[in-house]
Amino acid sequence: MLRDEDVRKALEKPAKYGADLDLSSYGFGEAEEFAEIDRDVSRRGMEVGVDLDRRKYLSTFLHVDYSTVYKSVQRQFKDDLELMTIEEALKRYDWVRGLLWKLRDPCEDKYTAFTALNAKGGYFMRILEGRKILIPIQACFLLFTQGIIQPVHNLIVAEPGSEAHILTGCTIHPRVTRGLHLGVTEIYVRKGAKLTYTMVHKWGPEFDVRSRTGILVEDGGVFVSNYVMLGELRTFQSQPSARLIGSSSRTSMNNVVYLRGRSEMDLGGEVLLEGAGSRAEIILNSVAADNAKITTRGRILGLADNVKGHLSCRGLMLSDEAEISTIPILESKKMNSELSHEAAIGKIAEDQLNYLMARGLSRDEAESLIVRGFLDVGRMGLPRPIEEGVRRTIELALKGF
Amino acid sequence: MLKLENLHVSIDGRLVLRGVDLEIGDGEVHVLFGPNGSGKTSLAMSILGYPGYRVISGRIIFDGVDITDKPMDERVRMGIGAVFQNPPKIYGVRLKDLIKIISKSKVNSAEISGLMDRLNIDSSLLNRYLNVGFSGGEVKRSEIAQVLAMKPKLMILDEPDSGVDLDNLQLIGRELAENFKDRSGLIITHHGYILNYVKPVKAHVMINGVIVCDGEPEKILNRIRESGYRWCRKCYEMKMSERL
Repeated sequence: MLRDEDVRKALEKPAKYGADLDLSSYGFGEAEEFAEIDRDVSRRGMEVGVDLDRRKYLSTFLHVDYSTVYKSVQRQFKDDLELMTIEEALKRYDWVRGLLWKLRDPCEDKYTAFTALNAKGGYFMRILEGRKILIPIQACFLLFTQGIIQPVHNLIVAEPGSEAHILTGCTIHPRVTRGLHLGVTEIYVRKGAKLTYTMVHKWGPEFDVRSRTGILVEDGGVFVSNYVMLGELRTFQSQPSARLIGSSSRTSMNNVVYLRGRSEMDLGGEVLLEGAGSRAEIILNSVAADNAKITTRGRILGLADNVKGHLSCRGLMLSDEAEISTIPILESKKMNSELSHEAAIGKIAEDQLNYLMARGLSRDEAESLIVRGFLDVGRMGLPRPIEEGVRRTIELALKGF
Repeated sequence: MLKLENLHVSIDGRLVLRGVDLEIGDGEVHVLFGPNGSGKTSLAMSILGYPGYRVISGRIIFDGVDITDKPMDERVRMGIGAVFQNPPKIYGVRLKDLIKIISKSKVNSAEISGLMDRLNIDSSLLNRYLNVGFSGGEVKRSEIAQVLAMKPKLMILDEPDSGVDLDNLQLIGRELAENFKDRSGLIITHHGYILNYVKPVKAHVMINGVIVCDGEPEKILNRIRESGYRWCRKCYEMKMSERL
């Protein structure tokens, strides 16, 4: 089905956005033996919101380098959730193949092409019709071997009327400094289903990430994505793209990033409002410290009747050496669509600082409150333990600020 | 409590206060009237020590201490609290977070929740980002709640009654009246609605950065209501010619 030759050609194709990486500069195929989930690993898990110590009691998927080392479904949800590797799913269901590479094009660029030809692992999650899984399903991708490419392909199907929260934490072992994570994720939200997809990333100063996510939302479906990335990496580029084909379907994409060091990030979000009365909100909040460079791109296309979309890009500059650019795009093909955007970049506003100081806060306290406000995750609607975990991660990243 | 001596203040090189003398005794509440642009807000900001308001000459004495050169946050910690007329929006910072920080160590949580109830500040307002999408009444209630949570010795209220409907005015007025029983205050008001609830002992009128008269609040307010600031401008001219 994949046009192998075309895909191979695409291996040379740079991505539309982000720095171009030479894939041959990374190792591929050989991984060191992963011994066990020790304290280092579980601490890393915690930092990206995944509780590996309680893996046996939760629905958990843990993938290290090229293989799945742990997977389980929480007992009370045995009849509600199917969780397996993508390879197992392809063997079990004929229809799975038909859902792959439908929401992203394998020939999009060298990263999709490489993943299409070489993907090793990835999860398949299927929330069965009408089932509600109120405790988050956790998935963790860890890179353990120095300097390799980790290409994974994930598939999520939220069957009609189902509801779930998926929490994905992607990170590297503390001893790893270099490498490339390539994650392709395709997400189907069927009629009336509600899926919340929260992703927390933590990488290292030499690490690269290219992520390709495609989402399809049917009638009355709701897709909420939350993305949190704190700290340092070398380069990152991602622009999840959601097609809201269903009438009255909704999506909300919330992104909060805080970058330090020489990190370069190109982060976007794109929504195609194809269903009548569909609605989208994209929030891209970024904080750049040190020499970090951040580009945020939001795009909402109104293609059907009575659609609504709002895009908000806010950037906070903490250093003169940092750079933030923001590119909001709205396109409308219907008279009755309502699309809006707001964008603002700047340092911490003096009037805000003064106001807080007039309430008795010191300058440092006021600055810290404003920066933490920029990274507010309270609006993401996370379950309490996850929100607390993410807040702890933010505190850790901001330590000393 | 507060004493201003011949206070001259400039912003960006423009003189906004031109020799203000004012004394507010312990537990006294005063009201300040004046037309738009006469310098009332500048006076409030100067007492608070808001950055940008530069004292050219004169002194500010608070609680027996010369605070003329003290930074704003120090003055606030000494007990000056101000309600702003146009507070900025702060995305990501919830009203509840700020109130928690402000009241820390000064006010217990039962007191705070009582205060919030009386000011009709519910959890949905507490959970919203500061001043983002707040109505006029919500801004005032949030401002007053914050300042009361600070337990200041001196409260400066810049137009606590502007842009507020009658229900909100009553709520705010009653709470302020209760809180002025044991503290001093300076209220700036254009319309004087708040004086239906709070009874200051003295009124002042400011014209062009100068206080031109002091007197009984009701009398002065009635005069202004009848004929605007016409008379006050005459007093201003007289006062200025006296100075010469």
